[in-house]
Amino acid sequence: MTATPPEWAEALLRLVLDRDRADSVSGDLLEEYRATIHPAGGQSRADRWYVMQTLGYVARSAGFWAAIFGGAFVARTSLDWLAPTDDFHLRSAVSTYVGVGTLMVAGLWAGWRSSTFAAGTLAGLATAGFGAVVSIVGAVALLAVAHDPGTMAAIRGSGGLAEVFTLPFMLLLPGAIVGTVGGVAGAAVRRVLSPGSPSPTQ
Amino acid sequence: MADILGAFEQAVLLAIVRLGEDAYGRAVLKEVQVRLDRDVAAGAVHATLDRLENKGLVGSRLGTGTPIRSGRPRRFYRLRPRGFRALNETRAAVESLWRGLDWPLGEST
Repeated sequence: MTATPPEWAEALLRLVLDRDRADSVSGDLLEEYRATIHPAGGQSRADRWYVMQTLGYVARSAGFWAAIFGGAFVARTSLDWLAPTDDFHLRSAVSTYVGVGTLMVAGLWAGWRSSTFAAGTLAGLATAGFGAVVSIVGAVALLAVAHDPGTMAAIRGSGGLAEVFTLPFMLLLPGAIVGTVGGVAGAAVRRVLSPGSPSPTQ
Repeated sequence: MADILGAFEQAVLLAIVRLGEDAYGRAVLKEVQVRLDRDVAAGAVHATLDRLENKGLVGSRLGTGTPIRSGRPRRFYRLRPRGFRALNETRAAVESLWRGLDWPLGEST
């Protein structure tokens, strides 16, 4: 019987690959899985390898957007802690637009690349998820540097530590929704502008 | 000065040179792993190939599928003139940096 990697992992992989490269790239992984990894380690080790490779592609595809998303969180946190204010309206508006805009563009780009709206959903989810990790790490680093009484008072005045550490993870669902909207637009534009099949570059 | 390549980009480009007509994604991955003597993620190689192709250093064409790939095609890569130039200039730059120094370096250097 021919060894086969987990179907869900293959589906996930295709969501983060360019439409024109999906067959050749997934073919490379499948060949390595069947020719090297599976014979050497058996089904479960080969499946684990395939899943880890796939997660690597997901992380690479979302890394740039997650850095922007998480970086915006860290910038906002730094501002609130180190330059306290009583009027958060402008800061909230800017950080909301930056966050939503980043998720939308991440979804748009993913939808364009793979020609599927579900790629946008995954991009939004991954951007929000990895971005949350970036923002938590940033907040912990900031707290390690600045924890004098004045800064602690500013933290309490801007919503407290609980908000800083929980809010990023509450954005997973909105991230998936906004990413899906971007993905629908990106996939539609790609299908209209470039309906053809892959072509060589030489 | 033109493109000065990073170590991983050099590894991928030199793998393509060594493999010649057989330089497709998985073969490049295996060659890079052997030369660097470490495990390398397939995604890192594919991302580098994409980047090098976008920079005009390599070109690609699709081949035919094989049963072990469930019929999915191989994408074969070859260096473009700009790729050869970048490799040569990178090598020259590194040699220039090392000129006049004994290798390997020791604490007495």
